[in-house]
Amino acid sequence: MKKSILYSLMATALLAGCGLFSSCEKVSPQGVLMANTSVDDRVRQSLIYYTYYGEDLDWILADSIDEYSFLVGSDSHVTFDPGRLAEMVQTGIENDDLFYCHLGDLADTKPEYYYNTKAALYDATRTWKHKYIKALIDEHHTADDGMFYDQRIEKFTKNYLRPWDDWNLPFYPVVGNHDITHNGWSLFCDQFKTSFYEFTVKVGEKYDRFIFLDSANGTLGDFQIDAIENKALENDDKPIRNTFTFTHTNIFRPSMNEFASTYCREELYYLLNKLSEWGTSIAFWGHVHAWDDRMFNGVRHITMPSMNFKDHPNGGDDLLVRITVKKDGTCEMERVGLHSKEMSKDELEAMGYYTTTK
Amino acid sequence: MASFKQRIVIAIILAFTASTALAQYYSGEHTFDGEHEHEASASVTVGKNIITGPCIGNTLHYKHYFNDHWSVDGGANLQYTKELYGIKAKGEYHFKVKSFHMFASAELLYNRYFKYKTNEIDGNISIRFERGYWDITLGETLINYTIGKSGYTELPTLTFGAHATLRPRTNNWNVGLLFRNYDDFYYENWNINWGLDFYYKFNSRWKMFGEFNIRPAGSMSQLASRYETTGKLGLIYRWK
Repeated sequence: MKKSILYSLMATALLAGCGLFSSCEKVSPQGVLMANTSVDDRVRQSLIYYTYYGEDLDWILADSIDEYSFLVGSDSHVTFDPGRLAEMVQTGIENDDLFYCHLGDLADTKPEYYYNTKAALYDATRTWKHKYIKALIDEHHTADDGMFYDQRIEKFTKNYLRPWDDWNLPFYPVVGNHDITHNGWSLFCDQFKTSFYEFTVKVGEKYDRFIFLDSANGTLGDFQIDAIENKALENDDKPIRNTFTFTHTNIFRPSMNEFASTYCREELYYLLNKLSEWGTSIAFWGHVHAWDDRMFNGVRHITMPSMNFKDHPNGGDDLLVRITVKKDGTCEMERVGLHSKEMSKDELEAMGYYTTTK
Repeated sequence: MASFKQRIVIAIILAFTASTALAQYYSGEHTFDGEHEHEASASVTVGKNIITGPCIGNTLHYKHYFNDHWSVDGGANLQYTKELYGIKAKGEYHFKVKSFHMFASAELLYNRYFKYKTNEIDGNISIRFERGYWDITLGETLINYTIGKSGYTELPTLTFGAHATLRPRTNNWNVGLLFRNYDDFYYENWNINWGLDFYYKFNSRWKMFGEFNIRPAGSMSQLASRYETTGKLGLIYRWK
C-alpha cells in the first residue's frame, strides 16, 4: 500500500511538472476534461451574422455557364509561412474554380500566425479581384485611359457595381480544433465571421447547396442541432440538386495511425442519418490529416489529407480535391497537388510575415 | 506559452488524472464471496443528452458465479426517451498474480438506436487489474454499426478505465472517482467519461449503488464539451 501511494505521488509530481513547464502551444491539456470555448456560443454568434448576410453568400450562375468547379483543402496549420494556403487559392484562381473551401485548422492559434494567414489571403484577394472584377467591369464599361487601374475600378464599382471593398475572396472555411484553442475563436471570427452557415449556387432552375458545420469541439452542440432541426439555415425549401457538407471532425478513421472519431455514439448516428436526409452528394471531413474515400448510406464521404509543410515538406500531387459539377448535376472529382517549398526566414520577413512569436 | 494560471489548472487536472489512474479500487462489479452464486441488479438512469434531450431509462443485470474463477453476466439496457435498447453477455475469468486480482473478460454488446435506425454490435476483450483501493482496465473494442444497407466496422479502439475509492473494497460503504471511455452499455473512442460513484451495503444480500457520470464529446486538443450528464441509482440482490 505504501508503495502504491509512493508511485502515485511520483507519477502525480511528474505529470504536474510536465503540465507546469511544458509550453502546450498546440494542445490544451485542460481540454481533456472540459472546454474553455463553447460551440454553442460560436454558433449563436454565427447565426446572427448569417441572418444579416446569409443571402449575400449565394451564387447565381449566368445562363451561359453550365458547369463549375470548387476546390477543397484541409488542415493548413499556418505558422510563419502561409505559402501552402496561398498556393491553394492561387491554384483555384488559375483554374477558374468558382470558390475555395477549407476544412479547418487554418492556423495554429497565435496572433502572429493569424496575421500571416490574413496577409496571405489579403494578397490572394487582390489577385482574385484583379482577375474577376476587372473582367466583369471591362465587359460593361470602356476603360478610362487617364486613370490608374485601381482608381478606375473603384470609380466603376462605386458607380455601377458593388464597392471594391465589398468583394470578398470566395474562401469558405469551417473552424477546426486548432482554431479555437487558447481563445483562438476571437482570431478566427475576426476574419471569417461565422462557423455555421450555408449558401447555394443557382444553376438554371436548380440549386446546389453547400453546408458548413462547426464540429471543432468534436460535437455540433445542442444549439447547432436545434438550429438544424428548426431550419435556421434557409435553403431547405429550394429545389436542391446536390448537397455538399463541410466540417472539421472526421467520422471515418483512415488507418490505425490516425485518431478515431470523437463524436459520441448518438451524435455520430444522428449525423450520418442527417447527411442522408439532406441527400448529400459528398460530405467532406478533415482533422486526421489522411485520405479516406468511401460510400456510406448513399453519401460519399471524403476525409482530406493535410496541406501543411510539417506533414508534407515537399508537397504532394494529391493534397487538394477539385469537384467539377457538370451540366447534368453529376460530380467529377480530381486530386490536385501543392508543391511550394517552405520559405526561409529572410524571405518571409521580406514579404512582411511574422517570423517569431512573443 | 501558457500563462502561469493556465499551468496551475493543467497541473491540477494532470494530478487528478494521475491520482485516479494510480490510486484506485473498483466497486462497480463484484467478485465471488464464496457463498452467493447469484447476483441481480436493477437501476434507474436519468439525465440529459444534447441530441436526445432529457433521458430516462433502466438497466438490468444478472451475474452467475460458477466458482472463484469463472462467472457469466447478462444485461439489458432500456433507454425510453433515447429509444435506445441494448443487451449484452459477458464472461469473466478471475485469477491472482501476487497481490493483484486480475479479471480477463470478453463481452458482446448489441444496441439498437431506433431513433437513428442504427444497429450497433460491439465486441470487447479486457483485463482488469485490481487492488484494495483502485483498479485499472485495459482492452480492445471492435465496434460495428449498420444504417440502412451500409455497415462500417471501426478499426480496433483502445478501451481504458480507472477507478479509485476512499475506502477499501471490503468496506460496507464507499465513494469513488471514475475515469474511462466506456460504460455498461456503450464503448467510445477517445471520449473520456468521468464521474463519481458510491455504494452502501445494507447486509450480505442487499446493496445500493449509484453513479454521477459526465460524458463529454471530444477530448484532448478538441476541448471536451458538454454531451451527456446522467445520474444512476440502483439495487443489487445476491443469493445462494
